Amino acid sequence: MFKRQRAASPSSAQKRSRTGGAAPQVIKLGTELPPEDEGDDGAFVPVWKQTVTDERGRRRLHGAFTGGFSAGYFNTVGSKEGWTPKAFVSSRSNRNKDQAKAGTQRPEDFMDDEDLAEAAEMRQLETAQSFAAIGTGAADAPNDDFFGLFKTEEDTIGVKIIQKMGWRRDQGIGRKVRRAAHLDDNGLNSSIKDRHLFAPTDTQSMSTFRQDQRKGLGFQSESRLSRSEDDTEEKSSFVLPFLDRTDKPRPTKKSAPKQTSFGVGILNDTGSDDEDPYELGPKIKFNKTIGKEKKAKKPSKFAKAGAGVSHVVIPKKDSMRTTASLSKLSLDGKAPLRGFAFATEVMFQPNRPKFPPPSIPPGWTSAKGVTPESQRGFQTVGDAAKSSALDAKSRAALLGESQLPGKSIFNFISKESRDRIATVTGKVNLPQGLGESGPEGHSQDTHKTLWSFVPVLDKEIAAAALAKGATGWMPYAEDSAKRTRYVEFLELRAGSRQALPERASGMSVADWAKELEEFAHAARVFKPTTGFMASRFTSSTTSQSAPGSDRDDDTLLRAAKVKPTDPAEEAAKMGMYGPMTRSQITFHSTRLLCKRFNVAPPPDVPFAPETGKGTEKSTTEDAVNQTAMDEMKKAVLTRGLPDRPAWMNQTNVAVPVPETAHAMVDVEKNDALDKGRAPDEVFRSIFGDDDDSD
Amino acid sequence: MPPLSFPTTPIARLTGHSGIVHSIAYSSGSSQYILTGSSDRTIRLFNPGKAPPTSTAPSAGLINKYSAHGYEVLSLDVNTANDRFVSTGGDKTVFLWDVQTAQTIKRWTGHAGRVNRGVFGGEDDSVVVSASYDGTVKVWDVKSSHYKPLVTFDEARDSVTDVCVFDAEIVTASVDGRVRSYDLRMGLCSVDAIGYPVTSVGVSKKGTECLLSSLDSTVRLMDRADGTLLKAYRGEGFVNKELKVRSTLGLNDSVVVSGSDDGMVYAWDLLEGDVLHRFRHSEMREVTGKVGVEKPGKKDVVGAVAFCKTRKEWASAGGDGNVVVWGMG
Repeated sequence: MFKRQRAASPSSAQKRSRTGGAAPQVIKLGTELPPEDEGDDGAFVPVWKQTVTDERGRRRLHGAFTGGFSAGYFNTVGSKEGWTPKAFVSSRSNRNKDQAKAGTQRPEDFMDDEDLAEAAEMRQLETAQSFAAIGTGAADAPNDDFFGLFKTEEDTIGVKIIQKMGWRRDQGIGRKVRRAAHLDDNGLNSSIKDRHLFAPTDTQSMSTFRQDQRKGLGFQSESRLSRSEDDTEEKSSFVLPFLDRTDKPRPTKKSAPKQTSFGVGILNDTGSDDEDPYELGPKIKFNKTIGKEKKAKKPSKFAKAGAGVSHVVIPKKDSMRTTASLSKLSLDGKAPLRGFAFATEVMFQPNRPKFPPPSIPPGWTSAKGVTPESQRGFQTVGDAAKSSALDAKSRAALLGESQLPGKSIFNFISKESRDRIATVTGKVNLPQGLGESGPEGHSQDTHKTLWSFVPVLDKEIAAAALAKGATGWMPYAEDSAKRTRYVEFLELRAGSRQALPERASGMSVADWAKELEEFAHAARVFKPTTGFMASRFTSSTTSQSAPGSDRDDDTLLRAAKVKPTDPAEEAAKMGMYGPMTRSQITFHSTRLLCKRFNVAPPPDVPFAPETGKGTEKSTTEDAVNQTAMDEMKKAVLTRGLPDRPAWMNQTNVAVPVPETAHAMVDVEKNDALDKGRAPDEVFRSIFGDDDDSD
Repeated sequence: MPPLSFPTTPIARLTGHSGIVHSIAYSSGSSQYILTGSSDRTIRLFNPGKAPPTSTAPSAGLINKYSAHGYEVLSLDVNTANDRFVSTGGDKTVFLWDVQTAQTIKRWTGHAGRVNRGVFGGEDDSVVVSASYDGTVKVWDVKSSHYKPLVTFDEARDSVTDVCVFDAEIVTASVDGRVRSYDLRMGLCSVDAIGYPVTSVGVSKKGTECLLSSLDSTVRLMDRADGTLLKAYRGEGFVNKELKVRSTLGLNDSVVVSGSDDGMVYAWDLLEGDVLHRFRHSEMREVTGKVGVEKPGKKDVVGAVAFCKTRKEWASAGGDGNVVVWGMG
């Protein structure tokens, strides 16, 4: 490589000194630094001294910086080894929070300067921004009396509520409309596909101000920017603020950038390089310019009581005058309604233009005459009503209404009683008593005889109850007198007695009537059961002890009365198998079952899925089983054909019915309902008295 | 006319069960095999030809053992194709087994009490009819996978002890003393009152008669058409008052064979009704003459008898766990 040849540097001995060999001169300028007591002078410092602490003696740069794990020791982990749990002891008598040592740890211990500054800031009380000081400054408040208080920029509760519900400013109220988006203001409507749901447009609110100009409804002046000077002219003080939000610019509160957060926002960026956004430490705000700036004085946050109130002194006689004039203001001399007070003066509206009355054309006279007021005293409505002499009927006649149909009571009562009423009450204008007879249907016989209390009971039931009593048991076993009365009542109803059932001594008529009702009910209940029902139940019988037998024989066990046995059972026991032992019932099999057995299903098989109940089962808990009823019916109906059920009799071609055909349902007719009544014999055999009563 | 001859010689003895053998079933077709179900919860398949009565081998003739029941096995039935059989038991279930794999194909639950009997029925053995202590008779479908029965007959007011299927009719016998015959073609159920609890029912080959055992020590032959009694079979010493004992028709429906409470097996002539033979199951011999009065133990009951359809052979199952096969000798 080519290297530039350089002259070899002279050795230090060859170096010339500037001073030419004189005593070296060292030029000193400035004052010497004081010797350092503290600070780093390069001496050896042990590790424990190398810790950094702040002014409060707390360690900075906790373990995370030095590679340890005990981050958070400074912030209450407890020790550099980590969190050592403190034994927490607290009891009812010895509460932990009430201990003396409770104050050893305060939150302030763990807060650094930023936190402390924030806490300090929090402590400052601030009123809500919108709070206009009570009664201050006429400069702020508009020139009207009371409504300055309401004229705040704060949202009302209603606005807050609907904002919570999803409304946003400048939206309208109501259902969302489906329209195309108004992206450009030129009104181009895009295709249907771009239709979305939008909030309705906000309505133009009509402000209720007096139109002093003749520019038409809803006109807004062109200059929208500078509104302040227009305010006083165009609007009266009567504007309700929440209607007209678009006009008034809201004074935004420029919040000072939080002193505790990093960085500067875009808005607050002044471009100055002196401010380091990431500087740790409190933001010290020194004035960077010389010269005191005038700070606008904010209205004091604290209300100065009575600052805006100008006390008006009212001399005493004036106040008396005002109250005395109250009575004069009432037209009819009456006090005003509750909650109202008379106005002392007419409402003053300075802006109201006063128009002169129209000029009357000359020579015009009014067609209406004026009644002199003095002739008639003023009459309130109430008084006018009282002075009228009309009653309902005469008013109706005046109005020309037709008489209402209907009779009054006076039609029916006799003349004498009407006169009696008239003398007693003093009213002579009662209609005449006509003494008509009652309308038809009204029974003349209003005498409530005792017979009316005796309840009605069917003769058969009474007879049956009597018969039952004769053979078996009568109710009221414990009260023989009552039983005899019961029997008498039954006999009366059965026809064998004619006399009124007697009333026990000491019983009132009402009680007696109630007892008779009870008897009637008991007779209905305790009448003997017939036929099939009887076979279901047995009554207990007490064995009649022979006279003279000793009572020791009485045992609680009584021989159960032998159940009336099934005739089929009896026949079987006797060995007479045959028609007596055989009975038949129908059952419905399912389609699938028949399919499995390769059998044509009967036509009335329900088209039901796999599982099915075999036979008809009555779901109600009848004392008489449905199948038993069927049995009886079958026995009657199929007397000639024991093998084929009734429905088979009708269709003779039941067998070759194809499997897929199921019963046709005809909505129009229903044979079950339309068919004629079954012969009486059927009914009698089912419901009537059988020969197999017990 | 007395039957030509009646098999009276024990030709095989099937052992191995440790409890009362409740049911026997011959296989279909050539009836080579016998299935036995016992209260020891197992079902065993035997080849009686391989189990002569004199053999001392512990389970001679045993081909297969089927265990799945949780409680005693109460009944067995083999289908005509000989590849499946149904077993029912005290665990309220009805099992459909595959003979080859010895596994259950289907398990039907739904009964509320022990299932006394399960038989194949329907065309092609497509259903299984089961009768249970809970008083219901349920028909289960073999072909589909329904877990519910096709139909349930619950007219019986007490336990249904036996069921038999003949063509499209299901005949059930119940402890309430009734025999109910459900005719699926007609949709009609004929109820015959017997008077005594009926423990077994069987239908003759012609289908016009049915044989009933009842707990009054009588076996009855009834006419199915009108419910009349055709013949009643009793025997001096024939006791059947407490236990469920089965009876069967045999020898082409010419004899009636029934077990009894005390270990005896009786055979009657069907038409005449007189006792032809008496056997003592435990001794494996025919007993002639007067039967001594003994105290029969529980184990002496002969609960099941089965007649082979093809040969003159029949089997009796006893409370001692053995099955004796009787042949012509």
